[in-house]
Amino acid sequence: MISCKHVTKTYRGTTALNRLSCNIHENTITGLIGRNAAGKTTLLKILTGMIKESSGEVEVFSKHPFNNLFVSANSILVDDQMSFANSISLYELLQQAGRFYKNWDMDLALRLFDYFSFQPNAIHEGLSKGRKSTFNMIIGLASRCPLTIFDEPTTGMDAVVRNDFYRALLKDYIAHPRTIIISSHHLDEMEHLLEHVLVIKKGKELLHIPMEDLKEYAIGLEGKTAVLKEWLGDQPVLTKRTASDYAYIAVKNDFDTEQLEQVKQQGVKVSPVSANDVCMYLTKGQKGGIDDVFRQR
Amino acid sequence: MLDLNGVTPIYIQIAEWMENQILNGTFQIDEKVHSQYTLAEMFNINPATAAKGLHLLSEEEILYTKRGLGKFVSPLAKTIIMEKRKSQTLTGLITDLVLEAKQLQVEDDELLEMIRKEMKQQKGEEI
Repeated sequence: MISCKHVTKTYRGTTALNRLSCNIHENTITGLIGRNAAGKTTLLKILTGMIKESSGEVEVFSKHPFNNLFVSANSILVDDQMSFANSISLYELLQQAGRFYKNWDMDLALRLFDYFSFQPNAIHEGLSKGRKSTFNMIIGLASRCPLTIFDEPTTGMDAVVRNDFYRALLKDYIAHPRTIIISSHHLDEMEHLLEHVLVIKKGKELLHIPMEDLKEYAIGLEGKTAVLKEWLGDQPVLTKRTASDYAYIAVKNDFDTEQLEQVKQQGVKVSPVSANDVCMYLTKGQKGGIDDVFRQR
Repeated sequence: MLDLNGVTPIYIQIAEWMENQILNGTFQIDEKVHSQYTLAEMFNINPATAAKGLHLLSEEEILYTKRGLGKFVSPLAKTIIMEKRKSQTLTGLITDLVLEAKQLQVEDDELLEMIRKEMKQQKGEEI
Protein backbone atom coordinates (compact mmCIF):
# COMPACT_ATOMS: atom_id res chain seq x y z
CA MET A 1 0.00 0.00 0.00
CA ILE A 2 2.76 2.44 1.00
CA SER A 3 6.36 1.77 0.18
CA CYS A 4 9.29 4.09 0.84
CA LYS A 5 12.83 3.22 -0.15
CA HIS A 6 15.78 5.37 0.88
CA VAL A 7 13.64 8.49 0.86
CA THR A 8 15.56 11.70 1.50
CA LYS A 9 14.24 15.23 1.78
CA THR A 10 16.42 18.26 2.26
CA TYR A 11 15.28 21.83 2.77
CA ARG A 12 18.02 24.37 1.99
CA GLY A 13 20.78 22.21 3.39
CA THR A 14 18.75 20.83 6.32
CA THR A 15 18.04 17.12 6.06
CA ALA A 16 14.48 16.35 7.17
CA LEU A 17 14.41 12.74 5.96
CA ASN A 18 17.57 10.71 5.65
CA ARG A 19 17.24 7.57 3.48
CA LEU A 20 14.08 6.46 5.26
CA SER A 21 12.56 3.12 4.25
CA CYS A 22 9.26 1.61 5.34
CA ASN A 23 6.29 -0.41 4.15
CA ILE A 24 2.79 0.11 5.45
CA HIS A 25 0.11 -2.47 4.77
CA GLU A 26 -3.40 -1.77 3.58
CA ASN A 27 -6.15 -1.40 6.20
CA THR A 28 -3.91 -1.15 9.24
CA ILE A 29 -3.58 1.58 11.84
CA THR A 30 0.00 2.74 12.25
CA GLY A 31 1.31 5.15 14.87
CA LEU A 32 4.11 7.42 13.72
CA ILE A 33 6.23 8.37 16.69
CA GLY A 34 9.17 10.74 16.86
CA ARG A 35 10.32 13.89 18.56
CA ASN A 36 9.89 17.39 17.23
CA ALA A 37 11.82 17.80 13.96
CA ALA A 38 12.29 14.04 13.54
CA GLY A 39 10.72 14.29 10.07
CA LYS A 40 7.18 13.06 10.81
CA THR A 41 5.34 15.85 9.03
CA THR A 42 7.73 15.80 6.07
CA LEU A 43 7.11 12.08 5.60
CA LEU A 44 3.33 12.50 5.80
CA LYS A 45 3.36 15.37 3.31
CA ILE A 46 5.41 13.31 0.86
CA LEU A 47 3.01 10.36 1.21
CA THR A 48 0.02 12.56 0.39
CA GLY A 49 1.83 14.20 -2.53
CA MET A 50 1.97 17.67 -1.05
CA ILE A 51 5.73 17.95 -1.33
CA LYS A 52 8.26 16.08 -3.46
CA GLU A 53 11.08 13.96 -2.04
CA SER A 54 14.63 14.99 -2.93
CA SER A 55 15.66 11.43 -3.70
CA GLY A 56 14.57 7.85 -3.13
CA GLU A 57 11.45 5.95 -4.19
CA VAL A 58 7.96 6.55 -2.84
CA GLU A 59 4.90 4.57 -3.85
CA VAL A 60 1.36 5.05 -2.56
CA PHE A 61 -1.44 3.00 -4.17
CA SER A 62 1.39 1.82 -6.51
CA LYS A 63 1.80 5.40 -7.77
CA HIS A 64 4.28 8.17 -7.22
CA PRO A 65 2.27 10.51 -4.99
CA PHE A 66 3.65 13.93 -5.92
CA ASN A 67 1.16 15.84 -8.10
CA ASN A 68 -0.81 12.66 -8.60
CA LEU A 69 -4.58 13.13 -8.86
CA PHE A 70 -5.44 9.56 -7.91
CA VAL A 71 -3.42 9.80 -4.70
CA SER A 72 -4.95 13.22 -3.96
CA ALA A 73 -8.49 11.98 -4.40
CA ASN A 74 -7.93 8.92 -2.23
CA SER A 75 -5.96 10.38 0.65
CA ILE A 76 -6.42 13.06 3.27
CA LEU A 77 -3.91 14.67 5.60
CA VAL A 78 -5.51 16.15 8.68
CA ASP A 79 -3.33 18.60 10.59
CA ASP A 80 -3.53 22.05 12.15
CA GLN A 81 -2.42 23.71 8.92
CA MET A 82 -5.53 22.70 6.98
CA SER A 83 -6.82 25.85 5.39
CA PHE A 84 -10.49 26.38 4.81
CA ALA A 85 -12.31 29.20 3.13
CA ASN A 86 -13.42 31.79 5.65
CA SER A 87 -16.10 33.18 3.38
CA ILE A 88 -18.35 30.18 4.01
CA SER A 89 -19.74 28.65 7.20
CA LEU A 90 -18.69 25.40 8.86
CA TYR A 91 -21.87 23.74 7.63
CA GLU A 92 -21.10 24.79 4.07
CA LEU A 93 -17.54 23.48 4.49
CA LEU A 94 -18.98 20.04 5.27
CA GLN A 95 -21.16 20.22 2.17
CA GLN A 96 -18.19 21.22 0.02
CA ALA A 97 -16.06 18.38 1.45
CA GLY A 98 -18.70 16.03 0.09
CA ARG A 99 -17.89 17.21 -3.42
CA PHE A 100 -14.19 16.43 -2.95
CA TYR A 101 -14.31 12.97 -1.43
CA LYS A 102 -16.27 10.23 -3.12
CA ASN A 103 -16.77 8.19 0.08
CA TRP A 104 -17.88 11.23 2.11
CA ASP A 105 -20.47 10.33 4.75
CA MET A 106 -22.55 13.45 5.34
CA ASP A 107 -24.70 11.69 7.92
CA LEU A 108 -21.66 10.84 10.07
CA ALA A 109 -20.25 14.35 9.59
CA LEU A 110 -23.49 15.95 10.80
CA ARG A 111 -23.87 13.60 13.75
CA LEU A 112 -20.32 14.40 14.92
CA PHE A 113 -20.87 18.10 14.19
CA ASP A 114 -23.94 18.05 16.39
CA TYR A 115 -22.36 15.86 19.11
CA PHE A 116 -19.43 18.27 19.48
CA SER A 117 -21.91 21.21 19.53
CA PHE A 118 -20.64 23.20 16.55
CA GLN A 119 -22.63 26.19 15.32
CA PRO A 120 -23.54 25.61 11.64
CA ASN A 121 -22.96 29.25 10.70
CA ALA A 122 -19.64 29.67 12.58
CA ILE A 123 -16.45 30.45 10.64
CA HIS A 124 -13.39 28.19 10.77
CA GLU A 125 -10.97 31.01 11.50
CA GLY A 126 -12.99 32.02 14.55
CA LEU A 127 -12.58 28.64 16.26
CA SER A 128 -10.11 28.07 19.10
CA LYS A 129 -7.13 25.74 18.57
CA GLY A 130 -8.85 22.75 20.13
CA ARG A 131 -12.11 23.38 18.29
CA LYS A 132 -10.26 23.65 14.97
CA SER A 133 -8.62 20.28 15.67
CA THR A 134 -12.03 18.81 16.48
CA PHE A 135 -13.60 20.15 13.28
CA ASN A 136 -10.65 18.94 11.18
CA MET A 137 -11.02 15.52 12.77
CA ILE A 138 -14.67 15.39 11.63
CA ILE A 139 -13.53 16.12 8.06
CA GLY A 140 -10.86 13.42 8.37
CA LEU A 141 -13.27 10.77 9.63
CA ALA A 142 -16.23 11.54 7.37
CA SER A 143 -14.09 11.66 4.20
CA ARG A 144 -13.46 7.89 4.60
CA CYS A 145 -10.37 8.13 2.41
CA PRO A 146 -8.60 4.82 1.71
CA LEU A 147 -5.50 6.55 3.09
CA THR A 148 -6.35 8.70 6.09
CA ILE A 149 -3.52 10.48 7.87
CA PHE A 150 -3.73 12.47 11.10
CA ASP A 151 -0.72 14.60 11.98
CA GLU A 152 -0.85 15.51 15.68
CA PRO A 153 -4.67 15.43 15.54
CA THR A 154 -5.32 16.06 19.22
CA THR A 155 -3.44 19.38 19.52
CA GLY A 156 -5.43 21.60 21.85
CA MET A 157 -8.26 19.09 22.38
CA ASP A 158 -9.30 18.53 25.98
CA ALA A 159 -9.08 15.06 27.50
CA VAL A 160 -12.76 14.24 26.89
CA VAL A 161 -12.64 15.16 23.20
CA ARG A 162 -9.36 13.25 22.72
CA ASN A 163 -10.96 10.17 24.20
CA ASP A 164 -14.04 10.59 22.00
CA PHE A 165 -11.85 11.09 18.94
CA TYR A 166 -9.92 7.85 19.43
CA ARG A 167 -13.14 5.95 20.09
CA ALA A 168 -14.83 7.43 16.99
CA LEU A 169 -11.79 6.58 14.90
CA LEU A 170 -11.79 2.97 16.07
CA LYS A 171 -15.53 2.48 15.54
CA ASP A 172 -15.43 3.94 12.06
CA TYR A 173 -12.32 1.93 11.21
CA ILE A 174 -14.04 -1.31 12.26
CA ALA A 175 -17.08 -0.47 10.13
CA HIS A 176 -15.03 0.87 7.20
CA PRO A 177 -11.47 -0.49 7.24
CA ARG A 178 -8.89 1.80 5.68
CA THR A 179 -5.22 2.60 5.99
CA ILE A 180 -4.70 5.03 8.84
CA ILE A 181 -1.53 6.73 10.05
CA ILE A 182 -1.56 8.86 13.20
CA SER A 183 1.43 10.84 14.32
CA SER A 184 1.56 11.91 17.91
CA HIS A 185 3.80 12.59 20.87
CA HIS A 186 1.32 10.83 23.08
CA LEU A 187 1.72 7.14 22.35
CA ASP A 188 0.21 6.18 25.70
CA GLU A 189 -3.22 7.60 24.88
CA MET A 190 -3.58 5.84 21.53
CA GLU A 191 -1.52 2.67 21.83
CA HIS A 192 -4.60 0.45 22.24
CA LEU A 193 -5.75 1.49 18.76
CA LEU A 194 -2.54 0.75 16.93
CA GLU A 195 -1.52 -2.35 15.06
CA HIS A 196 1.97 -1.10 14.15
CA VAL A 197 4.32 1.56 15.38
CA LEU A 198 6.89 3.34 13.25
CA VAL A 199 9.47 5.19 15.33
CA ILE A 200 11.66 7.70 13.53
CA LYS A 201 14.63 9.69 14.72
CA LYS A 202 16.49 12.37 12.78
CA GLY A 203 14.76 11.48 9.52
CA LYS A 204 15.50 7.78 9.70
CA GLU A 205 13.36 4.81 10.70
CA LEU A 206 14.46 3.39 14.04
CA LEU A 207 11.87 0.73 14.69
CA HIS A 208 8.83 -0.54 12.82
CA ILE A 209 7.14 -3.32 14.77
CA PRO A 210 3.71 -4.51 15.93
CA MET A 211 2.41 -2.56 18.92
CA GLU A 212 2.33 -5.69 21.08
CA ASP A 213 6.02 -6.30 20.40
CA LEU A 214 6.92 -2.75 21.34
CA LYS A 215 5.37 -3.31 24.75
CA GLU A 216 7.69 -6.26 25.31
CA TYR A 217 10.68 -4.63 23.63
CA ALA A 218 12.41 -3.67 26.88
CA ILE A 219 12.46 -4.62 30.54
CA GLY A 220 13.35 -2.67 33.64
CA LEU A 221 15.74 -4.16 36.20
CA GLU A 222 16.05 -2.75 39.68
CA GLY A 223 18.61 -3.88 42.21
CA LYS A 224 22.16 -3.59 43.51
CA THR A 225 24.36 -1.83 40.94
CA ALA A 226 27.12 -4.43 41.29
CA VAL A 227 24.72 -7.33 40.61
CA LEU A 228 23.19 -5.58 37.59
CA LYS A 229 26.62 -4.69 36.21
CA GLU A 230 27.86 -8.24 36.45
CA TRP A 231 24.70 -9.63 34.92
CA LEU A 232 24.38 -7.18 32.02
CA GLY A 233 28.06 -6.91 31.08
CA ASP A 234 28.50 -4.35 28.31
CA GLN A 235 24.98 -4.70 26.92
CA PRO A 236 23.67 -1.32 25.71
CA VAL A 237 21.50 0.40 28.28
CA LEU A 238 18.35 2.30 27.31
CA THR A 239 18.19 4.31 30.49
CA LYS A 240 19.77 4.27 33.89
CA ARG A 241 18.91 5.89 37.20
CA THR A 242 21.08 5.38 40.23
CA ALA A 243 20.69 6.05 43.92
CA SER A 244 23.82 5.18 45.96
CA ASP A 245 24.51 1.49 45.27
CA TYR A 246 21.04 0.86 43.80
CA ALA A 247 20.14 1.25 40.14
CA TYR A 248 17.20 1.04 37.77
CA ILE A 249 18.25 0.03 34.29
CA ALA A 250 16.09 -0.48 31.21
CA VAL A 251 17.52 -2.76 28.52
CA LYS A 252 16.30 -4.46 25.36
CA ASN A 253 14.56 -7.65 26.37
CA ASP A 254 16.60 -10.43 24.79
CA PHE A 255 16.33 -12.68 27.81
CA ASP A 256 14.37 -15.91 28.11
CA THR A 257 12.17 -16.79 31.07
CA GLU A 258 14.91 -18.89 32.64
CA GLN A 259 17.42 -16.04 32.64
CA LEU A 260 14.84 -13.71 34.14
CA GLU A 261 14.09 -16.24 36.88
CA GLN A 262 17.82 -16.40 37.65
CA VAL A 263 18.18 -12.66 37.98
CA LYS A 264 15.09 -12.53 40.21
CA GLN A 265 16.78 -15.10 42.46
CA GLN A 266 19.61 -12.60 42.92
CA GLY A 267 17.17 -10.09 44.35
CA VAL A 268 16.64 -8.01 41.21
CA LYS A 269 13.15 -6.65 40.58
CA VAL A 270 12.03 -7.14 36.96
CA SER A 271 9.32 -4.88 35.54
CA PRO A 272 7.85 -4.12 32.12
CA VAL A 273 8.75 -0.87 30.35
CA SER A 274 5.78 0.93 28.78
CA ALA A 275 5.77 1.48 25.01
CA ASN A 276 5.82 5.22 25.63
CA ASP A 277 8.95 4.96 27.76
CA VAL A 278 10.65 2.71 25.19
CA CYS A 279 10.06 5.36 22.52
CA MET A 280 11.30 8.10 24.81
CA TYR A 281 14.51 6.24 25.62
CA LEU A 282 15.12 5.33 21.97
CA THR A 283 14.57 8.81 20.59
CA LYS A 284 16.35 10.92 23.19
CA GLY A 285 19.47 12.77 22.03
CA GLN A 286 23.08 11.95 22.68
CA LYS A 287 23.61 15.05 24.75
CA GLY A 288 23.01 13.34 28.07
CA GLY A 289 20.10 14.47 30.17
CA ILE A 290 18.59 17.78 31.20
CA ASP A 291 20.53 17.51 34.46
CA ASP A 292 23.80 17.97 32.56
CA VAL A 293 22.71 21.40 31.36
CA PHE A 294 22.67 22.59 34.94
CA ARG A 295 25.69 20.66 36.10
CA GLN A 296 28.12 22.25 33.65
CA ARG A 297 27.65 25.82 34.84
CA MET B 1 -12.46 -5.23 31.93
CA LEU B 2 -8.98 -4.93 30.50
CA ASP B 3 -5.99 -3.33 32.14
CA LEU B 4 -4.52 -1.40 29.21
CA ASN B 5 -1.41 -0.33 31.07
CA GLY B 6 -0.81 -3.60 32.86
CA VAL B 7 1.95 -6.15 32.68
CA THR B 8 -0.06 -8.69 30.71
CA PRO B 9 -0.25 -8.03 26.95
CA ILE B 10 -3.74 -7.03 25.80
CA TYR B 11 -4.17 -10.02 23.48
CA ILE B 12 -3.49 -12.37 26.38
CA GLN B 13 -6.00 -10.49 28.51
CA ILE B 14 -8.52 -10.97 25.69
CA ALA B 15 -7.77 -14.69 25.62
CA GLU B 16 -8.13 -14.91 29.40
CA TRP B 17 -11.41 -12.98 29.34
CA MET B 18 -12.75 -15.37 26.71
CA GLU B 19 -11.57 -18.36 28.79
CA ASN B 20 -13.47 -16.99 31.78
CA GLN B 21 -16.61 -16.64 29.67
CA ILE B 22 -16.26 -20.27 28.65
CA LEU B 23 -15.63 -21.43 32.23
CA ASN B 24 -18.66 -19.58 33.60
CA GLY B 25 -20.84 -20.90 30.81
CA THR B 26 -21.54 -17.68 28.87
CA PHE B 27 -20.29 -19.52 25.82
CA GLN B 28 -21.32 -23.18 25.63
CA ILE B 29 -19.69 -26.01 23.71
CA ASP B 30 -20.09 -25.58 19.92
CA GLU B 31 -21.41 -22.05 20.42
CA LYS B 32 -20.02 -19.22 18.28
CA VAL B 33 -17.87 -16.74 20.20
CA HIS B 34 -17.47 -12.99 19.55
CA SER B 35 -15.63 -12.00 16.39
CA GLN B 36 -12.45 -9.92 16.48
CA TYR B 37 -14.51 -6.88 15.47
CA THR B 38 -17.05 -7.30 18.26
CA LEU B 39 -14.24 -7.72 20.78
CA ALA B 40 -12.39 -4.70 19.38
CA GLU B 41 -15.49 -2.57 19.78
CA MET B 42 -16.28 -3.95 23.26
CA PHE B 43 -12.80 -3.42 24.65
CA ASN B 44 -11.81 -0.39 22.57
CA ILE B 45 -8.78 -2.06 21.00
CA ASN B 46 -7.41 -2.67 17.51
CA PRO B 47 -9.18 -5.63 15.81
CA ALA B 48 -5.79 -7.17 15.00
CA THR B 49 -5.01 -7.35 18.72
CA ALA B 50 -8.35 -9.05 19.38
CA ALA B 51 -7.66 -11.46 16.52
CA LYS B 52 -4.32 -12.35 18.08
CA GLY B 53 -6.10 -13.28 21.32
CA LEU B 54 -8.59 -15.48 19.46
CA HIS B 55 -5.78 -17.05 17.47
CA LEU B 56 -4.03 -18.01 20.70
CA LEU B 57 -7.16 -19.89 21.83
CA SER B 58 -7.39 -21.65 18.47
CA GLU B 59 -3.80 -22.78 18.77
CA GLU B 60 -4.54 -24.23 22.20
CA GLU B 61 -7.61 -25.93 20.70
CA ILE B 62 -9.95 -24.12 23.06
CA LEU B 63 -11.69 -22.70 19.98
CA TYR B 64 -12.11 -24.17 16.53
CA THR B 65 -12.78 -22.39 13.26
CA LYS B 66 -15.58 -22.97 10.79
CA ARG B 67 -14.45 -21.35 7.59
CA GLY B 68 -16.44 -18.25 6.83
CA LEU B 69 -18.57 -18.63 9.94
CA GLY B 70 -16.22 -17.73 12.78
CA LYS B 71 -14.79 -19.36 15.86
CA PHE B 72 -16.61 -21.83 18.11
CA VAL B 73 -16.05 -23.37 21.56
CA SER B 74 -14.45 -26.79 21.24
CA PRO B 75 -15.90 -29.72 23.21
CA LEU B 76 -12.79 -30.04 25.39
CA ALA B 77 -12.43 -26.29 26.02
CA LYS B 78 -13.16 -26.32 29.75
CA THR B 79 -10.80 -29.20 30.45
CA ILE B 80 -7.99 -27.61 28.48
CA ILE B 81 -8.40 -24.26 30.25
CA MET B 82 -8.47 -25.81 33.71
CA GLU B 83 -5.44 -28.02 33.04
CA LYS B 84 -3.51 -25.05 31.69
CA ARG B 85 -4.34 -22.82 34.62
CA LYS B 86 -3.48 -25.54 37.10
CA SER B 87 -0.01 -26.02 35.71
CA GLN B 88 0.70 -22.31 35.19
CA THR B 89 -0.75 -20.86 38.39
CA LEU B 90 0.62 -23.59 40.60
CA THR B 91 4.12 -23.38 39.14
CA GLY B 92 4.09 -19.63 39.64
CA LEU B 93 3.02 -19.92 43.26
CA ILE B 94 5.70 -22.50 43.97
CA THR B 95 8.40 -20.30 42.47
CA ASP B 96 7.35 -17.41 44.71
CA LEU B 97 7.16 -19.71 47.73
CA VAL B 98 10.68 -21.07 47.26
CA LEU B 99 12.06 -17.59 46.63
CA GLU B 100 10.48 -16.18 49.78
CA ALA B 101 11.74 -19.15 51.82
CA LYS B 102 15.25 -18.50 50.55
CA GLN B 103 15.11 -14.84 51.53
CA LEU B 104 13.95 -15.82 55.01
CA GLN B 105 16.68 -18.46 55.17
CA VAL B 106 14.18 -21.27 55.75
CA GLU B 107 15.86 -24.66 55.29
CA ASP B 108 14.54 -27.03 52.60
CA ASP B 109 13.35 -29.62 55.10
CA GLU B 110 11.68 -26.96 57.19
CA LEU B 111 9.78 -25.68 54.15
CA LEU B 112 8.71 -29.18 53.08
CA GLU B 113 7.55 -29.86 56.62
CA MET B 114 5.50 -26.66 56.55
CA ILE B 115 3.84 -27.76 53.30
CA ARG B 116 3.09 -31.22 54.67
CA LYS B 117 1.64 -29.75 57.83
CA GLU B 118 -0.62 -27.44 55.83
CA MET B 119 -1.75 -30.31 53.63
CA LYS B 120 -2.54 -32.45 56.65
CA GLN B 121 -4.47 -29.66 58.28
CA GLN B 122 -6.59 -29.00 55.18
CA LYS B 123 -7.26 -32.70 54.75
CA GLY B 124 -8.25 -32.92 58.40
CA GLU B 125 -10.71 -30.09 57.94
CA GLU B 126 -12.26 -31.77 54.94
CA ILE B 127 -13.02 -34.99 56.83
